This record gives sequence, C-alpha cells and structure tokens, in this order.
Amino acid sequence: MPLKLFCCDECIPERQNHVYVKEEGEDTTQFLPLSNIETIPGSLSERGCSYCGAKLVIGGVIKDCIQMIHGPVGCAYDTWHTKRYPSDNDNFQLKYIWSSDTKEKHIIFGAEKQLKKAIKEAFKEFPEIKRMFVYTTCTTALIGDNPKAVCREIEEELGDVDIFVVECPGFAGVSQSKGHHELNIGWMRDKVGTLEPEITSKYTINVIGDYNIQGDTYVLQKYLDKMGIQVIAHFTGNVTYDQLRCMHRAKLNVVNCARSAGYIANELKRVYDIPRMDVDTWGFEYVKVALRKIGAFFGLEDKAEEVISEEVAKYEGKLAWYKERLKGKQICIWTGGPRLWHWTKALEDDLGMEVVAMSSKFGHQEDFEKVIARGRVGTIYIDDGNELEFFEVLESIHTDLILTGPRVGDLVKKLHIPYINGHAYHNGPYMGFEGAVNMARDMYNAIYSPMWSLAGKDPRVVDSPMWSLAGKDPSVVQEL
Amino acid sequence: MSCELVLKERTGIINPIYTCQPAGAQFAGIGIKDCIPLVHGGQGCSMFVRLLFAQHFKENFDIASSSLHESAAVFGGSIRVEEAVETLIVRYPHLRIIPIITTCSTETIGDDIEGIIRKVNKKIEEKHPDRDVKLIAVHTPSYSGSQVTGYDNAISAIVKALAKKDEPSEKLNIFTGWVNPGDVSEIKHVLSEMQVDGNILMDTETFDAPIMPDKSAFAYGNTTIEEIVDSANAIGSIALSRYEGANAAKYLTDKFGVPSIVTPTPIGINNTDIFLENISKLTGKPIPESLIIERGKAIDAIVDLAHMFFANKKVAIFGNPDLVFGLAQFCLECELEPVLLLLGDDNTLYKIDPRLKALEEKANCDIKTIWNADLWELESRVKDKSIDIDLILGHSKGRYIAIDNDIPMVRVGFPTFDRAGLWKYPVIGYKGAEWLAETIANTIFASMESKHDREWIINVW
Repeated sequence: MPLKLFCCDECIPERQNHVYVKEEGEDTTQFLPLSNIETIPGSLSERGCSYCGAKLVIGGVIKDCIQMIHGPVGCAYDTWHTKRYPSDNDNFQLKYIWSSDTKEKHIIFGAEKQLKKAIKEAFKEFPEIKRMFVYTTCTTALIGDNPKAVCREIEEELGDVDIFVVECPGFAGVSQSKGHHELNIGWMRDKVGTLEPEITSKYTINVIGDYNIQGDTYVLQKYLDKMGIQVIAHFTGNVTYDQLRCMHRAKLNVVNCARSAGYIANELKRVYDIPRMDVDTWGFEYVKVALRKIGAFFGLEDKAEEVISEEVAKYEGKLAWYKERLKGKQICIWTGGPRLWHWTKALEDDLGMEVVAMSSKFGHQEDFEKVIARGRVGTIYIDDGNELEFFEVLESIHTDLILTGPRVGDLVKKLHIPYINGHAYHNGPYMGFEGAVNMARDMYNAIYSPMWSLAGKDPRVVDSPMWSLAGKDPSVVQEL
Repeated sequence: MSCELVLKERTGIINPIYTCQPAGAQFAGIGIKDCIPLVHGGQGCSMFVRLLFAQHFKENFDIASSSLHESAAVFGGSIRVEEAVETLIVRYPHLRIIPIITTCSTETIGDDIEGIIRKVNKKIEEKHPDRDVKLIAVHTPSYSGSQVTGYDNAISAIVKALAKKDEPSEKLNIFTGWVNPGDVSEIKHVLSEMQVDGNILMDTETFDAPIMPDKSAFAYGNTTIEEIVDSANAIGSIALSRYEGANAAKYLTDKFGVPSIVTPTPIGINNTDIFLENISKLTGKPIPESLIIERGKAIDAIVDLAHMFFANKKVAIFGNPDLVFGLAQFCLECELEPVLLLLGDDNTLYKIDPRLKALEEKANCDIKTIWNADLWELESRVKDKSIDIDLILGHSKGRYIAIDNDIPMVRVGFPTFDRAGLWKYPVIGYKGAEWLAETIANTIFASMESKHDREWIINVW
C-alpha cells in the first residue's frame, strides 16, 4: 500500500510521505515514511526542542549537578517538575533548577557576565555540589555568548569544580533529537576519559539509554549486580557526573535507547574500541534475551540463567493472569520514537496485544525500519503525528488504550479512551520482568476501569432501568 | 509595623516562581473561543506550556508553533508564520482568531510580525474570501517581564486589536486576571446575584469539560470575538488584577470612554466588599441580601477558626502579584501573619502598589516583600532558620520546601498540579474566603495529626 494521506492533510500533502500502512509482503525497501525532517508550521506537531532533548531527557537525570540554564527564565521553569526520574540521593535533580535569568539588556550587551555571576552564586549556595551542566538556549545562542570560555574561567578560579556546557538552542535541529545528539557528542568530546573509575569486577559495562524512569535503573542494576557485573555508568539513570566521566573503562556498552544515546556508544566504539550491544530492556521475553546476550559476552551464561529463572518464577504467573485479560486488546503507541519498536512486538509476544497505530515524534529512518520490521501488518506508522491525524486514526480503527503523554491522554479521555503514560509511566518501573508486569497491570486497570462503560451510558436513554420504572409504584424503585 | 520591599540580591534564579512572557500570553489566548494561539519560536515554547496547562487542568489545549528551525534563525522566520497561519486556517474550519505570540528567539532575530500580518491578511482575503480570521500580534519576548506581563500584554493586544465602538450596552466588562475557572464561576455568580450582565475576559469556566456520553465535549475558552469587540461599548470595566488586565481596561477608558476601576483583587471579605461596591458604582445595581448572607457565612466560618487556630501563625506567600497581595490582606483579616511575600519578577510598579501601604497600616507583624524573587529566597531562609514559617501559601512549584521542611502548605494559584481539582474552586469572593479559611484549617489539622502536635485539640472545637 502506498503511503497514506489523511483527509485532514489535504492542504499539507507532504504529510503523505510521513504515514505508512503496512501490507503483507511489503518491506521497508519499498515504503518508509520520511522522518527527522522539518516540522510543518502550524500542524500542531507534538515535537519539542533541542534544549528539551538535552536537558529534560538526558542531562537533567544526573543526580549530583547544578543544572544551569543560560537564557530567560522560561526554559528553566519548563524542565523542572516535568519528568519522573528519581535518584537514590533524595531526588536532588527533581527539586532544583537554575537560570542565568537573561534579560533584555543582555541581548544587547551579552549575557556572559550574567552567566558567570549566576554560576558562582549557585556554587556558593550549594557548597556541597561541585559539578554543573550549563545549557545554552535560543537567545543566548543567537547573541553569540561563549559560555565555554566563561566556564573555563570559573573552573580555574574555583579550582574544585567541573562544568560541562551543552550548546542546545531550541531552534537547532527539528526536534528533541538534536539535543540528544549534542549532549552525547559533547560529553564524549569533553568529559569521557577525564577520570578513572575504581574497578571492582572483571566484567564492566555502561548501560546506555536508560533514564531511571520510575526506577528502571534500579531494576537493571539489580540484575547486573546478581551477575557480578560492574556498571561503570548508567547513561544517565541515577548516575553521578563523575561516573559518566569514567565511561571509557567499560568493556561493553549495552544500549537500550539507541535513539537518544546510540551516538555515545558509537563514539566509545570509535575512540576506545568498546563494543556496542543493542538490547531491549522492556518486555518480559526481550529481557531474557538481553541478559543472555550480556551473559554470553562475558562467559556468564549460568549467572544470566540464574537471574532469569529466579525472576521468571516470581513474575510469570502474574504476567499470565494479565495476558489472559489483555490478549486481543488493540492499542496505539504515540510516544517519542524508540519505544515504538521496543514495545510493539513485546506487547504482542508477552501479552497477545495488537498495536494498531504508532506515531513517533522524533524517530529517524532507522527507528522506522526497526518498528516496521517488528510491527504488524495493517498497522499505521506515523512520523510526527498531530492532533487532527490522531482523531482521524481513532475514527478509522478501534483502540482499547493509548500509550502516550498526559496531555494527549487528557484529550482522548473525552473519547472514552484510556491512556497510560508512555513517557513517564503510570506506576513503574516498566523495565525488566517486574516492569513488564507493572505495565500489564497498569494497562489492565486502565482498560477495565468501570468508568468507561459509565461514560458511554446516557441515563436519559429509554432502555436504562430508571426509565422502565417510570410511573410505577415507588416501592419498586426503592427495592432496586 | 514595617512593610519592607526589597530586591533579591542574587543575580541568577534558583527555582523560579514565574515562567516567561509567552506562557502568559498563551494562557490569555486559550480563554478565547475559536482561537488557536500561534507561538512564533522554537517548538519547546509551546510544547512545554501545553504540558504545563495539562499538568494544572488535566485538559488539553490547542496551541500551535511556527516550529522555528535553524534556517529561520538565520534568514528570519516570516515564512514559518505565513505557512503556519495557512495550515491552521485550512485545517481548522471553525478557527476565527490567531494571536501570534513572539518569543525571545523571534524578537532577537527581529521578525516584523505586524508586516507579516499585513501580508498574510491579504493572502487570506485572496485565498479564503469566505473566512474572517483575526491575526493579532502579541509581543512577548521571554527576556522581558514574566508570565504576568505576558498575560497582560496579550489581553491588551487582543482588546486593542478588536474593541470597536458601537451601540452602548448594559454589560460590565470584567478583566479577571490570571485566575482559575473556579474564580470565573464565582465572578459570574456574584454578577448574577447583582443582576448585572457581565462581559468576562477571559471566560475560562468551560475549561472544566465533561466526558459526555456522545464524546462531544472538549475543554475550550468561552470568550467570543464579539464579546471582545463589544468591550468598547460596556457600561464600565472592572479589572480584578492590577498587573493582569488593568492596562486593557485603561485602554478602553482612554480610547472609548468606558469608565474603569482597578479593584483590589477580591480575596478576603474586605476586598470582596470593595468589589461589590465597585460593581454597584458602575452599574447602579444594589448589593442584594443573598450576597450579604454569603458574606455572613464566610465570616462565620472564619470566626470559628481564626483566633483558635490561625492567630500568630507566620505565613510565607508566593505567586502572581495580585494573588500574593490579596492573600496577604486576607491573612491579616483572619489573624494570620503574612511575614514573607515573594513576587517573581522585576516589575518596578510593585514599588507603588497601594496594597503595600494598606498592608503596612493593618499589619501586626513585620512584612518583608521580596521582588524579582525566586523560591530559594524562601527555602534558604527556612533552612538557615532565619525565619520560622508555620504555613506556606503558593503554587505547586514550591512543594518541596513544604515537603522537605515539614511545613503545612495550601496550594493556591498556578500551577497546582500536585493537588486534585483545586482549580475548580474559587479563592476570590466570599465563597473564596470561606474556602481558603477552611482549606488552610484542614491543612493545619492534617499537619498537627501527622506530627502528633496537640492533635487532641481538634477533638473539641
């Protein structure tokens, strides 16, 4: 089937190249939606900006840093209290945000002095914190500030601090994805290899592309601890700044989110010759495969099997209970990009669910190759889907649940369709064996909520019991 | 007692109280019917704000972006606005108004929004002769002012662009300021009791959208273009917020001779009294018995609580300036001591706000007001014990100060994402005063219980 043009897109026919419906026998050499190209203005795209990709997705997860946003106050405000990544140091990274508070006068005269003052103040107010991320934003990039020079000066002056600068103005690139890239490459260039880790195991890895959403990292860490594998750094779940400087000492990079963090794995391969192993840490069956692959790499196959059998014994019964109730349910996945291909087949294999429509905000061509390869025939695959397209999708298919963000969730609830937070989860973690069960539980609870049948009922409609008793003996009503 | 206004001494911000101007403009925009605000800037400038509104209201609001990319940052973003407007007009047949909201990036690159609008208007006339879509320039560079001035700028720009003299009406313009739908309901209730026909700018009551059996309802703003046009013909205007909408009221006075009053934000009994008197003044309608009964109920509720539970308790308040001043006045009425007020931007007009003087006259405690403040001004004082706070009144962005330091906090203002449904309740009017007093009391009670702090007092009161 050729690429599909939605009725709502007749005035922006280029959208046809972004929507694909898979047919039997077709593959991605014939049809592949365009992706990672300019957004159509005014389309009500769901995309965010480069700064979002750098700060909110990756940098802001790091648990022991001052996060200084160099720009007007809004950018700082926006990436604070908008994610669910806890840490084991009382969630320091969730509680604070710093802004250089760039004002009009700085647009004319430059904001470097302002930044310098703000940075020094921040270190003074938080004397126990010695590490900092500085992010540029639209304005401070446009006026041509040189924050790196400012930060080098401060590092020399204060002596015991280390600052990393990410150049991620919101207008750079076409989505969050550009910010992921900038942070990955910058960190590799400036910080990896500047500190040596304490090695406690023969088996060392970095876990790349897991952001401890609702405790995902703790789950993975638990499995790896049991296998005797030392994690040098999680990029970037529950991690410290200094752990990330030591990434060059791992013997293997295990990559989950290849979209946001594949770059640094590739750089570690290029510069330090550390192999890259792509795994899926979501999905009951996939996690088995992931642990077996890691085990095989180090000759720890037995350890991997031990962990798997212990976890499977704990959780397979629960998963089976949910599978019984979720099989055949049709769902949509409208998230950032990689979760489409992480989840589509996992939900099918683990729970018998059918993913009928998927939309990615910032996936690239390789993400669509993966998801179309793993996804079902008849499923709709959309790049950078927007509100009207979503409505049209919902008219053309049946769906029992949508995995998406809270705002889209707030929209579709009016259509009596439940959502599960596909970015930050309802009640996670969702990774690992227990995570797969948590996800199944949340989907079950959402789909089977008694509210949906009540929402669809109009008590004025004649066949409801209230009506059939109208005008009859009131004692009958009381008995009911 | 003293009422001191001081500027934050630090340069940078640690935990902001306000976000930037475009967010305020977007909030104003979503209050209009058949409107999709278009944010001219990077995608984050609208995506994050939509998320913020969803956090607060648990509802979706449509806001478009011109999706500024690198090429536009270099060569100018006019074409992105043109394309965005065209796409919106064709894809949303009911769309009648698009406020075009600038951001720091597009103000810095110097896009000529007024010029673009002239050009696009011609194009619309040619391509879509059957459509009447108002394009309104709203200048809100993020590096000036804050969400507060952004809201004010947007309301002013929209009123200036639309208000038009015609037959005089009996309606009273109400510029609500940045309030919750619950407050709008309360305003409507008061007007209805006084038999006054209100023209509410902006009427956000419909943000509380139901899930309907036929799936037909979505959250939307309810102030129509016609109502904004007709604001020039009103019997008068009352602005409930000095910093959010008063400029638009003043414009209607200067341009069309519509008398206007900037009333002290009607939080608390006395401020609500003044509000009702001002409605009377402009409309000639008397204050009915029914509102005196409501007033009496609120006073009754406060009397039950104030001397026993509120007296001598020290309160820190942060949020939008009119809310903060109003809450501080309310605190004094019910024997709470508003010792620290935080205003989150550098608006120099705070220096001449008459409410500072009013607070000074009535206060039985020293009041410190910090402007250009951030939440660290509160947190650091709590941590180094330079102040002792018994209660925090503010929005959810300050929640960790309360949680980590075990201080009871009543969520009020915007955003209040960490409490369910608060935006459906008023803080203004007599009902708002009653709700505030009782919510404060219940919050203090819960805290006494969890700390086992004389919780047995609550057995009998």
